[in-house]
Amino acid sequence: MKAKSWVVMCLLLALALVLAVAALNFFVDPFGVFGQNVWYSYAETLNPRVGKTAYLMEHADEYDSYLVGCSSTSSYPVEELNEYLDAKFYNTIVYGADMQDTRLTVEWLLKNCTVKNIVLNVYIDNGLTWATGEDSLSYKLHEAVSGAGKVGFYGGYLLASPQYALDKIKAQQDDLVLPQSYNVFDEQTGAYDKRARDVENIGSLERYYESYPVFTNYPQGPSQLGYTDACMQDVAAIAALCRDAGVQLYVVCAPVYRDYFEGYSAEAITDFYTKLAAVTDYWDFSYSSVSCDARYFYDATHFRNDVGRMALARMFGDDSVYIPDDLGVYVTRENAEAHAQTLCAHEAAADTAAYTKDLPVLMYHDLLAEDDGTGAMTAEIFDEQMQALQSAGYTTVSLDEVYDYVYHGAELPEKPILITFDDGYRSNYELAYPILQKYGMKAAMFVIGVSVGKDTYKDTGVSITPHFSYEQAREMIASGLITIGSHTYDLHQSPQLDDAPVRETAGILPGESQADYAVVFSDDLAQSMQTIFAETGQPVTALAYPEGVYTTLSQVLCREAGLLATFSSDAHSNTLVRGLAQCLYAMGRYSVTPCSGAELIALLDGAE
Amino acid sequence: MSFTSLTFLAFLAGLIVLYYILPRKCQWALLLAASCAFYLCGGAKTIGYLAFTALTTYTAGRRLGVLNTRWKALDAQEKKTRKRAHDRRRKGVVWLVCLLNFGVLFALKYWAFLAEALLRRTGLHIFAPELLMPVGVSFYTFQSIGYVVDCYRGKVQPQKNFAKYALFVSFFPQIVQGPIGRYDALAPQLLAEHELDWENIRGGLQLALWGYFKKLLLAERTAALVNTVFASPETYGGAVLVLGVFGYCVQLYCDFSGGIDISRGTAQMLGITMAENFQRPIFARSLTEYWRRWHISLGSWMRDYVFYPLALSRPFRALGSFARKHFRGMLSKIFATSMATFVVYFIIGVWHGANFRYLAFGLYNGVLITAALLLEPLFVRVREKLPLCWDGWLWRGVQMLRTGAIVFIGRYITRAPRLTTALSMLRRSVTDFSLSQLRGGALFSLGMTKADWLVVLAGLFVLLAVEMYQERGGGARALLARQKPAVQGFVTLAWLAALLLGALGGYTGAGFIYAQY
Repeated sequence: MKAKSWVVMCLLLALALVLAVAALNFFVDPFGVFGQNVWYSYAETLNPRVGKTAYLMEHADEYDSYLVGCSSTSSYPVEELNEYLDAKFYNTIVYGADMQDTRLTVEWLLKNCTVKNIVLNVYIDNGLTWATGEDSLSYKLHEAVSGAGKVGFYGGYLLASPQYALDKIKAQQDDLVLPQSYNVFDEQTGAYDKRARDVENIGSLERYYESYPVFTNYPQGPSQLGYTDACMQDVAAIAALCRDAGVQLYVVCAPVYRDYFEGYSAEAITDFYTKLAAVTDYWDFSYSSVSCDARYFYDATHFRNDVGRMALARMFGDDSVYIPDDLGVYVTRENAEAHAQTLCAHEAAADTAAYTKDLPVLMYHDLLAEDDGTGAMTAEIFDEQMQALQSAGYTTVSLDEVYDYVYHGAELPEKPILITFDDGYRSNYELAYPILQKYGMKAAMFVIGVSVGKDTYKDTGVSITPHFSYEQAREMIASGLITIGSHTYDLHQSPQLDDAPVRETAGILPGESQADYAVVFSDDLAQSMQTIFAETGQPVTALAYPEGVYTTLSQVLCREAGLLATFSSDAHSNTLVRGLAQCLYAMGRYSVTPCSGAELIALLDGAE
Repeated sequence: MSFTSLTFLAFLAGLIVLYYILPRKCQWALLLAASCAFYLCGGAKTIGYLAFTALTTYTAGRRLGVLNTRWKALDAQEKKTRKRAHDRRRKGVVWLVCLLNFGVLFALKYWAFLAEALLRRTGLHIFAPELLMPVGVSFYTFQSIGYVVDCYRGKVQPQKNFAKYALFVSFFPQIVQGPIGRYDALAPQLLAEHELDWENIRGGLQLALWGYFKKLLLAERTAALVNTVFASPETYGGAVLVLGVFGYCVQLYCDFSGGIDISRGTAQMLGITMAENFQRPIFARSLTEYWRRWHISLGSWMRDYVFYPLALSRPFRALGSFARKHFRGMLSKIFATSMATFVVYFIIGVWHGANFRYLAFGLYNGVLITAALLLEPLFVRVREKLPLCWDGWLWRGVQMLRTGAIVFIGRYITRAPRLTTALSMLRRSVTDFSLSQLRGGALFSLGMTKADWLVVLAGLFVLLAVEMYQERGGGARALLARQKPAVQGFVTLAWLAALLLGALGGYTGAGFIYAQY
């Protein structure tokens, strides 16, 4: 081959390859910039700056208010903001945003969208970096926001590594419901999809530390803030832009985990918070008792949505939500110095006794009237156990009282205990209920939808242990002592009596896809909740998992269905944490054996 | 403008087309304009330094030219009487221009370092502005000083046209990281008129593509491994540290030699042959040979403009006489040259940067090479006495491994953030070495994915195969040209596809490692 021919061939091949890659990137569109094969959650995960702008270019008419700022901005729930301000919020949060990114975003929003409110979240790290000029595909701003040239911008994404497109094609084959590492954003709200993290069972601090060791050994961070002035100039610019556009601006300083906050020097902290006050008034949630308890944080730099909920309730005067007294200070020029001094004194502390409570939960099933020699639980033993609990100073609590403690900060008795019954056996009504009445004790009973009022299995005619009826349930509810919950409608099937595939528990079947499972579980749950509500008039707020089997997905589906608590059969006590809803999910229960009252008390005391 | 950016490719394509379309007498002017544009894109703020060097060395060359012309016009008698004054003047010019230019270089590299050291030790504040490092400052300084010394020696005729001289100083393919060109070899080519020669286009393109292969596929990926390991070396076991240093060796060689291949390929497409800078250093059988194969243009510059002048200088000649009188054996013969060698490596260490570890690196090499020189007679005797095959493949392999090990240890020193870290890493590479440290997914948590490892291993295999073929005297490009068109097409397609996959996307365009030296 002659030299000239080779050169021409080489150039033509190179051109063909480049065109092939460009075509792949255009049609698969992993970054969502070409409007093809739309999957915004995926695109936003690859580059939220670009993905969210592209999303808003198509959907801005669905919103009228925006949250702006770095990743901790994600933890202010838009649902609450929508309610408080009668608005339609979108969360523009992007990871690693500095104040310049945020200012450019606000400028773009004001120019291109209808805006009523802006909530600007300021994190202390905004003083640490500024205008990093990051220009990689995953970090750059959309050209519409940055004003960079269109050719360079779109050309860059046309010639992105084909690996991005191939990854997206592969991810599109997945049949998953929960967020994966490639789609961490909720498309509609713009916030991180934290469904999975918001149902993980949080109990004792020790168990939390075991799961997230970063909290006990927090890496030494910086102590100085080099860009406070630049950051505040941009905050001032945002304030001026909003003022000129007649947009209501709320400035909020995000809660910071104690070990991180205390790493900064007093000088840096004073400088940051007083200079912020010089350009705008703001709500400061940076440092409080919440900062001192790792359970209120997803990781060392991100506070939980529940904390965001408390912060918003403080800002908008919602008394129904539990809020620690020291969370949130409204800072103006007048009190800025004094506030900075308070911050630097590092006096906040976590008085865990004030906002946590230990709650053991007991699990019973069927009771026998008489001892039949099989070692099963009898009414007599149950009576003795209840008496022992009372004598030992335990007070039974209802589910509503538990919710009130967690959500609204109501008080609970000194030694609370929750009694539960699974399956809805008639003995619960005939034997247990009178005993509970005798002692004025409360309990929750979880019924299987298909078995209520039955003494045969579904339509097989096969005899089973009899179950109480809805009429009996109504009577118990009317006493004010009993709450009825769900034990699923029909996910506690019998391998002997049901056709395959048999669902003995509410777990996922081997080989079943997440999407298929979600449909089955949600439909069953909805049927169970609707039937119980229709029959008893009492909304269903809790579910006990058959055989204690649960998955993260089932937890998420329960929460989405509106359940406030779920119960496993994991043998441990529970720590209720005020303001942290997820402490009510997958709560542990002790399966009570026909032991003596004294033995039961010993078990509970030992567990404490 | 990075060689790996799309802008550079567009710039180069445009330049080559213009270069062969415009009248040939405009070619050198076009190259100068292109070089200025290239430099302005990379470091507009620092072009003053480049201009300063070009102006001072140009003026020095002119002055030396005038002095030499005047000298030639003198008759023998006058030459005899005026020789000392003439020599003093010429030396004065060289010293002045060296002081000015090396002064700037030294200030750029060491001022902040010295100011900080002074502040730490004595609390004394001295003026230390934050200086921007001009791109390729060492390379163009060395190249220009070489020109002045060549003028002094009468080896080259000083260039009278400043623009033409400025092209020699700023020629864009070499400005970033060399190779350090010699005026007599490079300038005539830069100023000559070049006809379009497809052989040159093909050869240059292939050389540049080979450079991109090394840089994009190998250097970029191993950089991630190296950065991860060296970011917190204290957290890794010996096996990971050894792997990290090995990765650094691959990264450094592929990044630097790849960059040079791109430079030389680019120049070749313009019809200009630049000096070779690497000759497969992995096959070196001694440390001295290694440094003859690695960064050749720096080594030969040091030899011609530092080592020889030093070894032939009066103090070193005196040192030689002293050694011959007072020492015996080999030491008496080579003492002075050993000392000069030692000084050269020390200077190379100093040149690398303001840090004790670079000084230590210079000393490390200087000591080993000097020791090898001194011990050479002993080795000769051993070789004579032991009836082994001293030129067989086995001994050659042992020598290569030995050299590789010495270089490998040296790399700990240059890459670790501090000298003490390097020493502790070295210690743990031996005392805390266990292959189990690489198992259980550890290999994939070091900044490189499984795909990256596969690419690097396959790339290293190709690199080694090509270099072995070249080492045996074969020409890889000629071998390709002998194949059937279909085979050539397939190889080219695979080559381009590999480059495209390596180049696109996540690649963020990091600069050459040697760019700021």
